[in-house]
Amino acid sequence: MDFTLSDEHLALQDSARYFLSKEVKLEPYLRTEANEKPVARDGLWSAIQGLGWPGLVVPEAYGGLGMGCLDLVMIVSEMGRTLAPSPFIGNLAGTWAIERCGSEAQKQALLAQVAAGELTLALAVADPNGDVNGLSAGARATGSGDQWKLNGKKSFVVEAGSADKIVVIADVDGEQGFFIVDAKAAGVQIERLDWRDVTREVNAITFTDVAAERLPQSDADSWSWIRDRLYLVLAAESAGGAEQVLADAVAYANERVAFGRPIGSYQSIKHNLAELAGGIELARAGVQFAAWALSENRPEARKAAAIAQSYASEQYCAMTFRSIQVFGAIGFTWEMRNHLYYKRARTNAELLGSPRDQREQLICLLEAEHRAAA
Amino acid sequence: MDFNLPAEDDPRRLEVRRWFDENPNPSYEQLAKKGYAVPHWPAPWGLSADPELQLIIEEEVERAGIIHPSTINPIAVNQCGQSLLAYGTDELRQRFLPPGLACQEKWTMLFSEPSGGSDLGALRTHARRDGDDYIINGQKIWNSLAHKAQVGVIIVRTDPTVPKHHGLSMFIFEMSTPGVEVRPILDMTGHEPEYNEVFLTDVRVPASQMLGAEGMGWRIVLEQLQTERMSMANPGAVWGYGPTARELVSGLIETGQIKDPLIREEAASLYVEGELLRLLSARDLSNRINGTPPGLEANLGKMIASPHGQRLSTLAKRAEGVAGMLRDTDELPLPAMDYGMFDTWDYCYWFGPAATLGVGTQEVLKNTISERLLGLPRDLDPTAKMPFNEIGRAQLKAAS
Repeated sequence: MDFTLSDEHLALQDSARYFLSKEVKLEPYLRTEANEKPVARDGLWSAIQGLGWPGLVVPEAYGGLGMGCLDLVMIVSEMGRTLAPSPFIGNLAGTWAIERCGSEAQKQALLAQVAAGELTLALAVADPNGDVNGLSAGARATGSGDQWKLNGKKSFVVEAGSADKIVVIADVDGEQGFFIVDAKAAGVQIERLDWRDVTREVNAITFTDVAAERLPQSDADSWSWIRDRLYLVLAAESAGGAEQVLADAVAYANERVAFGRPIGSYQSIKHNLAELAGGIELARAGVQFAAWALSENRPEARKAAAIAQSYASEQYCAMTFRSIQVFGAIGFTWEMRNHLYYKRARTNAELLGSPRDQREQLICLLEAEHRAAA
Repeated sequence: MDFNLPAEDDPRRLEVRRWFDENPNPSYEQLAKKGYAVPHWPAPWGLSADPELQLIIEEEVERAGIIHPSTINPIAVNQCGQSLLAYGTDELRQRFLPPGLACQEKWTMLFSEPSGGSDLGALRTHARRDGDDYIINGQKIWNSLAHKAQVGVIIVRTDPTVPKHHGLSMFIFEMSTPGVEVRPILDMTGHEPEYNEVFLTDVRVPASQMLGAEGMGWRIVLEQLQTERMSMANPGAVWGYGPTARELVSGLIETGQIKDPLIREEAASLYVEGELLRLLSARDLSNRINGTPPGLEANLGKMIASPHGQRLSTLAKRAEGVAGMLRDTDELPLPAMDYGMFDTWDYCYWFGPAATLGVGTQEVLKNTISERLLGLPRDLDPTAKMPFNEIGRAQLKAAS
């Protein structure tokens, strides 16, 4: 029993923080041009690939580092803290899909390339209405063996624009199947959505008779397995981001003087920030527990992931709202980074279903446990 | 990092369990002699247990169906006992600790005053040296168990010529001492009084019964409040005690009310917060195992746990509807666990407003967190630095 972060975890966090503080440049996103057209990506992703982070959770057998979810959240929280515009979590989603559903040969071929930083993946789940639980709706696969064709449309795909290959969840005769296609294959049309969070690219993809390869090991539980891990990374991002926004708000409240006193000396400001500090601390504890539970395949892992994502995303929303209030009108301008965090918080809270959806999943699990115990 | 709790077959757990098998229905004296009342204390009182063993013993005491000594005699076992251990003479420890830990003598804490609640440092009860004794005069309030207590731990002003936090000292004494008058307070729950007012008129206490040196009172109080808050970051309905969100959700499933969409949403949100509060107190425990000094995490825990508990019992009562408005009535299934006084949703609900008052109000707690954890500016206290006996209307006016 040890609920405290180990020295190794803290060292990983420190090195990620140091690297990202040097490499992440948010200035281009704060210029007015960023409101007109997407900011071109800089070298952050290749630097991240150079560090081997995409292979962090790839099993050693497939050329990765085989580290656990706790190690992962040390890094993802820091990426959340800096907003680190990169396809990291989009790639991670595709990686987990292959790990869970790929054949041995596919895993050998694809995961090794991901770990080596030679391949970037994305995962297309939602239909054009954003439904992630209807699962297969939106795209349909026909064929058999190694001859498959994909048709239809997927949306809200994270970072498909940077991907070399895209994993697609599609309907196969009424069942859910996982397929992989080349992003540049004939019939794939990737469109960039006008997503509010300009630090993240989100796409819609149309498939017209696209040649696809099936990931044959999928089953009814595959999506939930991947989804729980994505809940974890979104929650880790949110908790890390919220910590940074709290630190910014505290610094500003100490510095800004009104009526002869720093505004941070007023209880209306202090008390709000104290409450948020408590919520963020709980969010962080929830992220760490969910990471541990997922890594250890604990029976409570599914509940822990839903708890982490619903709570962390709401705390992030609350914190980013309060931060603009503390900064005052300057915090409402495009040139301040408050709005980048504000938008990341809200988009993270909707990307895989709302906090209320996660709470519904939680209550359903509790009802099932209750029935089983009765 | 490893969130596994000590297993059912942990050898240390088996050893504790064996003792309970060999000593069924032990008296509190037996428990104390075995070291199970305060396992984390050094011998002869405790076992110098690490927090993991503490947790095991706590769970096994519960499993044996015994209400924990810290519930029966909290001030001796939890808060002031530790101050006596740290700051008392050996003679004082021998006199007061054995009957205190064995729950034979109940203790009460005489801190709050009508004019010094949140601003405890403004307390006015004073002690004047008279030969080998001190003579105490003044009034205390909100003293739990004082009407049943044989022992009092009191903080008084021994030097009014220095700033308010500097001139305070702490004593331990028998409540049977002449001049001590206890008046129970009927609180809004209408239940048998838990709290009291205590009037002290020329109460003579030997100087040898002071804890620490003269003027050390404030420091000892701060340490005690820190320990007290530590035990409060659990997710029960009042100060961490009492039924939790797990029990509420399970009750709502049983009655079928979980199907009501608004109840369902609030219950789920409480369940989430309750589970996260559990993790926070587990982390406190781990930090102690790893030798990290107790930080402000416990304050954070209490800040969230108190309103969490209020929301819990509010949802329980909302689900009970008009039938739940009758005195001492619960429509929801009651928890199976014995939670002592916080045993019913009904009592937790009507006790609710006290949760954000006791052990420092929610407002003071938020000040502490924002100042000491976040580093925001301290609140203004124009009286903090002036000699206590010069604080008055004119001075307040001049300072503002």
